[in-house]
Amino acid sequence: MTQEYIDAPSPVSLGNLSTTTGDAPPVAKDLTYERILDARSEPHNWITYYGAYDGQRYSPLDQINTENVKRLTPAFVFQSGSQGLHAGPSTYSFEAAPLVVDGVMFVSGWDGFVWALDAKTGQSLWQYKHAIPFDTSLCCGNVNRGVAVAQGKVFVATLNAHIIALDAENGEKIWDTVHGDVRAGESATVAPLVVKDTVIVGSSGGEFGVRGHLDAYNIETGERVWRCYMVPKPGEPGSETWPDDGETWQRGGGNCWVTGTYDPELNLLYWGTGNPAPDFDGEVRPGDNLYTDSVVAVNPDNGEKVWHYQFTPHDLWDYDSNMESILFEKDGRKLLGHFDKNGYFFILDRTNGELVSVTPFVDRINWGEIDSDGKVTPSIYPEKEGEEVHFYPGPAGGKEWTHAAFSPRTEMFYCPVQDTGSTIARRRREFKEGMPYWGAHVIVDSEDMKGSVSAFNTDGEEAWRWETEMPMCASVLATAGDLVFAGEPSGYLNALDARTGEHLWKFQCGSGHHSSPTTYSIDGRQYIAVPVGWGAWVEGFLPGMMGGPHGSGIFVFALPEE
Amino acid sequence: MAKAREKQLSQMVSELGLDKQNGGAIGRLLNHGGLAHAEEGSDGRMKIQIRIPEDELTYSPSITVMPHAGELEIEFFNDDTNTHCAQVPSNGDYQWIWLPNHSTGKVTVQLDGPGYYWYSSNVGNDEGRGLMGAIVVMGEVPEEARLDRPAQPRP
Repeated sequence: MTQEYIDAPSPVSLGNLSTTTGDAPPVAKDLTYERILDARSEPHNWITYYGAYDGQRYSPLDQINTENVKRLTPAFVFQSGSQGLHAGPSTYSFEAAPLVVDGVMFVSGWDGFVWALDAKTGQSLWQYKHAIPFDTSLCCGNVNRGVAVAQGKVFVATLNAHIIALDAENGEKIWDTVHGDVRAGESATVAPLVVKDTVIVGSSGGEFGVRGHLDAYNIETGERVWRCYMVPKPGEPGSETWPDDGETWQRGGGNCWVTGTYDPELNLLYWGTGNPAPDFDGEVRPGDNLYTDSVVAVNPDNGEKVWHYQFTPHDLWDYDSNMESILFEKDGRKLLGHFDKNGYFFILDRTNGELVSVTPFVDRINWGEIDSDGKVTPSIYPEKEGEEVHFYPGPAGGKEWTHAAFSPRTEMFYCPVQDTGSTIARRRREFKEGMPYWGAHVIVDSEDMKGSVSAFNTDGEEAWRWETEMPMCASVLATAGDLVFAGEPSGYLNALDARTGEHLWKFQCGSGHHSSPTTYSIDGRQYIAVPVGWGAWVEGFLPGMMGGPHGSGIFVFALPEE
Repeated sequence: MAKAREKQLSQMVSELGLDKQNGGAIGRLLNHGGLAHAEEGSDGRMKIQIRIPEDELTYSPSITVMPHAGELEIEFFNDDTNTHCAQVPSNGDYQWIWLPNHSTGKVTVQLDGPGYYWYSSNVGNDEGRGLMGAIVVMGEVPEEARLDRPAQPRP
């Protein structure tokens, strides 16, 4: 007898088998460029990556302050976890900066997740999950650093290098543009930045020998408006800093994998660029290798480079300069502060890129020296094939991609510092598209390490430091309550007095911190939100915590309700 | 050469008793579940039939090949005498379907770029016993998304 098949129940989206409601209020509908320009005038929100275009990671909220922070307690925890096998299952990490618009939190996770949450209760409103190929080339983990929100849309870059716009009310896809070539080793992990009517996105994949670029897309259509390559073709400005062998520039790296900052008065983007490729084998790419390891001032209207400053010419240590450029003013001068992986704190004139000051911010620096004029003199680097050298800081840098903060109240910068070294030997390899292209073997120290949150004044002088046993690998947040929040690899979230560095409060979140905390308020109550989930390129920045527990939650804190 | 290696691997796995349920920890490996190409219709939509044979705890084929990114309709047949399911990656969210004993159902997924994607039966320990599959999307990204440089050597 032939048995007939019964009909299986209809398939469903997995999020429907949860308490996700499916809809968010239309808070993003009227979120315009003008509002983002004036983000600090609505301190209850955190509407763009750094909180404002200046990259200060500072909030004017002051309900939580040095007197009452010891009473801070969890308000809710959002947990996601993961389902099934996904790209980089052993290296995923929760690295995003949550945005909050009028009570709704928009945040992205690993492996293509985007969520809208009720920022008061943690209730999931909608979920979007992009399908990510398991074999995507990822140098530094299965991560995403956040979304941009404007004009009713949520913009996110996916690991497989698509830029997508979602409807902020229901998470449905509006447009999808392919941004990079996964076959070439490109990917995307950056939080997009909305400027005027475009969304600006940088590429990832420098460890695979790609050609880094920064792109702008029309926020309504997804059409690409311009592309700015950070490694010049022969004949283009800067090409004289690459060999004229006709090939090296094609694989030069210089990716733009962390969000930049923007000065609307000067109409300039300040975007950091990554290391040249191959990372450690400099003999195949003699020259300064512009525009790698630089901050590049880019016109957001057409993608043209206006000026640049290169922090580590001819990098031999993997010292990307993607870290934020914090915009501030002193004595009427428009300046830019940047803590580089090479261990030096640079202050530049942001109108023209002129060096104002350069000072070391980490104790151990022996790869080379940068003098007060910015002249770089290398001393230890992988030079001979197979011969190991040991240098400080290691390839994770004196500070990783995670962000410093600046408080206009204290006029101090707060930097998460990593103090650890690495042993590296040059190992030349042939370039093949999509394959790792380091040119070395690398062993990062897993002992003899330390860290700190260090405060610096606007002359680059250290004001105080709060020392830690392990390197600090998460962004810090400064508030008008004169507090600095900083997460540790151990799982503790800490609050420090912004003026003295005194340790005031801590909470164990159960997994290490490698994200960017933000703050907001609803109905007059201030909240501190921090994604928690240890992972990603741990072998590169803190192998001593390779076995630390992975997490996947957003912890949100507030003072107890009276 | 590849076929010879596959045959040799199959033989070794069989000799070790790892190619059947309760015969070892591995159960049936992906490359024992076979490979099939999705058929593309005139509208560009792709289709495939995937079965769960009785007592084998494997999707057959366990590797589905799409010639390019796009929409794939999968018609599942559960020929087993136990209930399973399928959780398949798709843009927007995973698509999840119950597959009771001797049932059939269709799942449509959107996959937008080259690479391979896992799917599985995420109930019990079906995944651990072999009920996993892969969808391989062939092809390249659109020309306009590629880097402005000459063609590069590949492995």
